[in-house]
Amino acid sequence: MKTADPGVRKDSRRPRFPHRQTTLVGCAHVTALLLLTGVCLAPGLSRAADERVAIERGQYLVHAGGCLTCHTADRPDAIPLAGGRALETPFGTYYTPNLTPDAATGLGAWTKADIGRALRDGVAPDGSYYYPVFPYPAYTGLSDSDVAAIAAFLRNLKPVRQVIPDHEIPWYLSNRVVMWGWNLLNFTPGRYAPDASRNAAWNRGAYLVRHLGHCGECHTPRNALGGLDRTQELAGNPGGPDGEKIPDITQDKTSGIGNWSEDEIVLFLEYGVLPDGDFAGSSMSDVISDNTAKLTTEDRLAIAAYLKALDAPDRPRP
Amino acid sequence: MRRRALPTLLACIALNVPFVAWSATAPADAIKYRKAVMSAMGAHIGAFMLINFGKVEHQDHLKAHTSALADLGAEVKVLFPAGTDTGDTDALPLIWKEQDQFKKLVTDLETSSAKLRDAAAANDKAGTMAAFKAVGEACKGCHDRYRKADD
Repeated sequence: MKTADPGVRKDSRRPRFPHRQTTLVGCAHVTALLLLTGVCLAPGLSRAADERVAIERGQYLVHAGGCLTCHTADRPDAIPLAGGRALETPFGTYYTPNLTPDAATGLGAWTKADIGRALRDGVAPDGSYYYPVFPYPAYTGLSDSDVAAIAAFLRNLKPVRQVIPDHEIPWYLSNRVVMWGWNLLNFTPGRYAPDASRNAAWNRGAYLVRHLGHCGECHTPRNALGGLDRTQELAGNPGGPDGEKIPDITQDKTSGIGNWSEDEIVLFLEYGVLPDGDFAGSSMSDVISDNTAKLTTEDRLAIAAYLKALDAPDRPRP
Repeated sequence: MRRRALPTLLACIALNVPFVAWSATAPADAIKYRKAVMSAMGAHIGAFMLINFGKVEHQDHLKAHTSALADLGAEVKVLFPAGTDTGDTDALPLIWKEQDQFKKLVTDLETSSAKLRDAAAANDKAGTMAAFKAVGEACKGCHDRYRKADD
């Protein structure tokens, strides 16, 4: 247990250079103190920097994840992400939760792990199941780092007190345990696994379309139980949210967007302009403003690459 | 004389308003005209995009399309007279209930389409893109709230 510090070990030098030795010991102390301070502070500082990077990335991901569109009330003065929008579905009217960290009405008491569990497993901190109007069946594919960044961003929001009304749902859904059964039939948890046979743009597009952007939640038709019919991926849904008819965005040249070039898809996602010069209205208008217009051009190109590689669904023609 | 001025004016207003409304275009034709102008704007946007994003080489046509868009953009404010909320139209009655909000978007279109024309004329690429984005915001904003979704 001998120390290597010369100022402490070399006792024989003490009488000869008493002054110098004091200085040496002093220097050692100061150095140790500085080192100690550095050791304690440096990770703290870099943690703070990491956190800032995560929050910034989380903001991008919250846009790409379309969180704003549903979790912001439908009023001109609504505070983003403070919830309260009524979502009308064939299975009742759902009011979106407040995602700001307000202790009483928002996510104030949530840990980052709670946020991850809600996003990817569809389970609330109290263990109850979410209704699939919340797209956890899509978010389940999110990577660990994306979930951490989203959580960092949400935790850093300014808390907003906003009481959210109770869902107006049919009696048979009032017990959330029903969702356990629904999940068994319709929900496959699991992270996105890149397809090695495809290029990076396609894989990024698949991650954005299938998981983070959850395009299929509106554009893929549903079965009688409200689960997505994955054999008809993005083939349109005549009974979409708010009773809207959601278009087919497969490569079908008649009903879908088979005639759109990749550039036209990118322009649509950025500006909302259709190849014929019309501008999207309806719910896609909000998706463009809140989500796809905020993406990098690379991400829009990735979405286009994925959509162009999508087959027209095999189904009977009218 | 002065005493009679106000009642006369009021009488004129009272008589003229229904007269003007009665003599105005048939609502069905006003709706057809509205659709024609909207289609024309869409066609100019379509042509603008093909040129602006380098798909066709008709740079010299850019001015024609952006000028037309600015002219038509300024016309939109008169395309929604009272009585054109029903019939063969996708315009929602909300337009006539939220006139202030609606007019704001229509004014945004007028302003942004004028900027688009000016930026394109000045060969200002960044300005053109920014103005095009603003035109899109006005179009989308209106279509989102005031146009019936596809059914």
